[in-house]
Amino acid sequence: MREVAIVGAGMTPFAEHFSLGIKDLLPMAFAECAASVDKGLDVADIQAAWFGELSTTDGFPAGILADTCGLLEVPVTHVENACATGNDAVRNAVMGIASGFYDVVLVMGADKVRESASKDTFWEWAGMTRDMAWDYPLGLVAPANFALHVARYLHESPATREHMAMVAVKNHHHAVSNPKAQLRFDITVDQVLNAPVVVEPFGLYDCTPQSDGAAALLLAAADVADRYTNRPVRIRGVGLGLDRVMHQHKRDMTTFPATVRAAKAAFGMAGLTPADVDVAEVHDCFTGVEMISYEDLGFCSRFEAYKLVEAGATSVGGSLPVNPSGGLKAKGHPPGATGVAQCVELFEQLRGSAANQVDGARIGLAHNVGGPTAVSAVTLLEGPAAVG
Amino acid sequence: MTHVAAIATYLPCWGSARGRVAGGDEDAVTLAVEAGRAAIDAATGGGSAGGGEAGPGGVQRVVLVSRELPLLEGGNAAVLLAGLGLDPEIEVSERLGGAPAALDALTSARPRTLVIAADVQPCAGAAAALVAGSGLQVVPAARLARSLPVRTRSAAGEVHDYGDPRLLRERGALASLASLASLAGDGADKPLAFAGVDARQAAAVCAGQPPALPTTGASSALFALAALAESRSSGPLFAAEQATVSGVRVVDGAALVRRVEPAARPVPASTFTPGKEIPVSLAAYERAFSAKVRFEAGRQASTGELDFPPRYRVGQDGTLHTDYTLVPLPRTGTVYTGVTVRVPVPGLPTPYSLVIVELDDVGVRVLAGVTGASPGTVQIGDRGRMVLRRVAVRSGVPDYGYAFCPEQPEEATL
Repeated sequence: MREVAIVGAGMTPFAEHFSLGIKDLLPMAFAECAASVDKGLDVADIQAAWFGELSTTDGFPAGILADTCGLLEVPVTHVENACATGNDAVRNAVMGIASGFYDVVLVMGADKVRESASKDTFWEWAGMTRDMAWDYPLGLVAPANFALHVARYLHESPATREHMAMVAVKNHHHAVSNPKAQLRFDITVDQVLNAPVVVEPFGLYDCTPQSDGAAALLLAAADVADRYTNRPVRIRGVGLGLDRVMHQHKRDMTTFPATVRAAKAAFGMAGLTPADVDVAEVHDCFTGVEMISYEDLGFCSRFEAYKLVEAGATSVGGSLPVNPSGGLKAKGHPPGATGVAQCVELFEQLRGSAANQVDGARIGLAHNVGGPTAVSAVTLLEGPAAVG
Repeated sequence: MTHVAAIATYLPCWGSARGRVAGGDEDAVTLAVEAGRAAIDAATGGGSAGGGEAGPGGVQRVVLVSRELPLLEGGNAAVLLAGLGLDPEIEVSERLGGAPAALDALTSARPRTLVIAADVQPCAGAAAALVAGSGLQVVPAARLARSLPVRTRSAAGEVHDYGDPRLLRERGALASLASLASLAGDGADKPLAFAGVDARQAAAVCAGQPPALPTTGASSALFALAALAESRSSGPLFAAEQATVSGVRVVDGAALVRRVEPAARPVPASTFTPGKEIPVSLAAYERAFSAKVRFEAGRQASTGELDFPPRYRVGQDGTLHTDYTLVPLPRTGTVYTGVTVRVPVPGLPTPYSLVIVELDDVGVRVLAGVTGASPGTVQIGDRGRMVLRRVAVRSGVPDYGYAFCPEQPEEATL
């Protein structure tokens, strides 16, 4: 199995891009990725592409990517795996190179959530994720899926809504310095706790915004990476995990077994442990989900996520900064782009060029959980050795 | 002569002393199922009718009387039988009518008929009588059809009110009753109860204090019968709708009476946000129907494991297992987790609560909406039972399933 590295990364800002369609966002992200390649990119070098997108707005995804990015001569594969789409697109592309099939491939992720009326979004997205006869008619909207878990988590663990609010405050603060983030303003714990309730126990500031955006990564076999850069970021591990889809079949809702499975696969492949991670981009579509994920990813023991939050360990400057980009919570969450954009952030973090840099970060972890809450993808990256 | 073995009544918990209001998840069919199940339970001494076996309580026919049948095309029989736990081979008659029609349905019913009457407007309630070979004896006494259409409703639901209550009072039911009394001569008894009219009119013509009735539609006749059965009274019982009147005489005997009439509570504040119609897949509806409306799990033949919803399985050796049988699930359980949706969701009244309920003793959990309690009041660990409700209306299709009704609804917002 050949080693795989990221040699270029770029993304559009995450925002409500009313003036830009998916056909605009894709070439924008692609061009930024190409521009990030230290030694330059000839587009003709790209041998294949994987494209993560949940909901198509203007036609079938693979064709849209090939057409808008000028990649008509190469195979393009659409990847859809709920909110784990982005990191699963990375995983598929890694397999394409690791197998020896390709040397240089493109991974993109994009979604345009704000293409339909905000009032219609609940049903459109619920229709993609819920059992049509059983769950869908009950009004199991996206926040409710995760709230069912977090309500039970708050019941069993010492964590409180205040701890959740502290996660929101942290991620908003991280986003302030990230020019690509959607919500670049500080908030306070009181603001979070007193915000209008969306789905108990989530207030407005516990929830990700609705976002549009695209992100791109250029992957190369490690043995050819030096054509593009002297400072590649190695992809050490990838993992995908699944779980029962209907919530009533999940025996313990204080954890996401999909994440546990994905993390086990990724750490196993990398030969790393959670203690090796220096910086992480964790799926914080709702604040409580970030806390549960600390435990599922092995960053702390079961029901001890609140301790990391209280200690500030997961803030930039702490022992394990999580979501220095602002996370889904404040950077934004166009689902297909989210996982790819996490790797864009980590590419910069591990090369020392991030907007909100974590000092000396060498190992980075990206994590998605979705399909509420039946799929997770984890990617482990390693930065270039410090060069003199 | 008709013998009534058991009578049961059901009132929604919402409303006030002036009248009950059907919950947003209730309609004539779910109201009828509540009353019908209670009547079968009363007759069989059971706590739950259960499903599977043909005809709990020996029921062989069901008559539903209402002016508010949800599906005027296609009919409501399948949902009614499934909700009652009765065999789908049983004959169902859906009768459009008010209080006189309910009495007529009773007196023309053969033994082993479950007569149910249900009303949604203006006051909600339902009552059911199980006709048997013995029990409370009821004979037809009088019937008079007269026309005074002071309120009309077209097939399309368009309502017109003539707007002359005194005309209705003087030339409606009371005039019909007087006409029947004059036909019967001076020896005619005054009625003990008068259903289908307001309490003041009933008191004006009845002997003594007539029973207070919570509705004025079809179910009011059976609410009146329940009251007479409880007080062991014999005598005439009349029922009116506009100017049409039917009368029966309660002769002798006894009927078991079960009342499911929780205390009235104010209707919780709710907001409805219009939006696109919620789509429905009728293929998915049809596949799920039996398990969903009868509340049955699939029991795998090979392992005995329960799946809810029922499903195919693939064994470790790759063998496909499709041979499950549907078995009734317990209808009591405990809340494992729950949330309250407060953000406006187009097409649904908000707020609403969703819970995952651990059913007693079977290791099966169910995701369900909460009924019979204000949103946000149900907590993890609360006990309750699963009841048939209209969980949604999707593109014009009433979608029935089970909701969680807490045992002790707490009204304090938590």
